[in-house]
Amino acid sequence: MPGNDNQKTETRLVLHSQLAELSRVWPWVDALAAEYAIQEETRFAINLCLEEALSNIIRHGYRGQPNQAITVDFISAETGLTFTIEDNAPHFMLPEPTEQLDSQQPAMPNSIQEFKPWGHGIHLMRRFAGSLAWEPLPNGNRLTIRFIITQLFEK
Amino acid sequence: MQISTEEMEGGITRVVLDGRLDIEGAAAVDLKMNVIAGSSKLLLLDLQKLTFLGSMGLRTIVVPAQTVHRRGGKVVLFAPVAMVEGVLKASYINSIIPIHHELRAALAALQ
Repeated sequence: MPGNDNQKTETRLVLHSQLAELSRVWPWVDALAAEYAIQEETRFAINLCLEEALSNIIRHGYRGQPNQAITVDFISAETGLTFTIEDNAPHFMLPEPTEQLDSQQPAMPNSIQEFKPWGHGIHLMRRFAGSLAWEPLPNGNRLTIRFIITQLFEK
Repeated sequence: MQISTEEMEGGITRVVLDGRLDIEGAAAVDLKMNVIAGSSKLLLLDLQKLTFLGSMGLRTIVVPAQTVHRRGGKVVLFAPVAMVEGVLKASYINSIIPIHHELRAALAALQ
C-alpha cells in the first residue's frame, strides 16, 4: 500500500562494492517498510537476506574491488515482495536446492567445538526468504529474493 | 552496537548486547567479546536488546563461546527476541549453547 505520493521511497538502491555501503541498506528498508506497511518480522528477514547477499557479492563476487556497482530493485505485489540484486561480478552460482529444505541445512554439530562459525549466510537466506533464485547475466549475476507476506518465524 | 558487562554472584559475567549484530555491529564488539571470553568462565549473554542477528553476528557469539568452553567454562544465551532466536535455531546454535528466557533458569544452567 503506497504511502503519500509526495514521499515515495526510491525502489532502487545503488551501492558501491564496499562493506561500509551496507549501512545504507537499513534506512532504505525501513523507509520501504513504512511506506508499504511491511511487518517487523518480514523487515527482519529482508535485512537479513540483503545483508548476506550483498556482503557475499562484495567479499566474494567482487573480491574486495571497491567502486563496483550493485543495484537492488524492489517490487511490491499482492503475491509478496521481491528484491532483485544485480552485479557485474564473475558468475556465482547458488548451490542447487533439493526438494527438502532440511537437506540444505548445515549438519547439526555434535559439540560446540564442532560448530563452524562461518558459511551460514546462504542457508539463512534460504530459510528466511520465500524463494531465492540466481541467474547469470551477460556480465554479472542476478539474484532474486522473494518474501511472502505471512508470519515467517516459528518458535 | 553497544556492549556492557556486569559481574554477578557466583563468578558469572553478564554481557549485554544492545543493538544490531550485523557486519558493522560484529566488528564493533568482536574484540571486546574475545577479551571477555579470555577472562570469564561463566558467561551469560543477555540478548534482550539485540534487535538483529546476521551470519557475522553468529561468529561474534560462537567464537567466544568456544573459547570459554575450551577453558572449561559455560555459556548461556538469555532471552533473545523471537526473530533473533529464529536465526539461532536455524543455525543450530541452540543445540550447542542453551537458550533460556527466564533469568533463574539461565543462571542455574551456569552452575
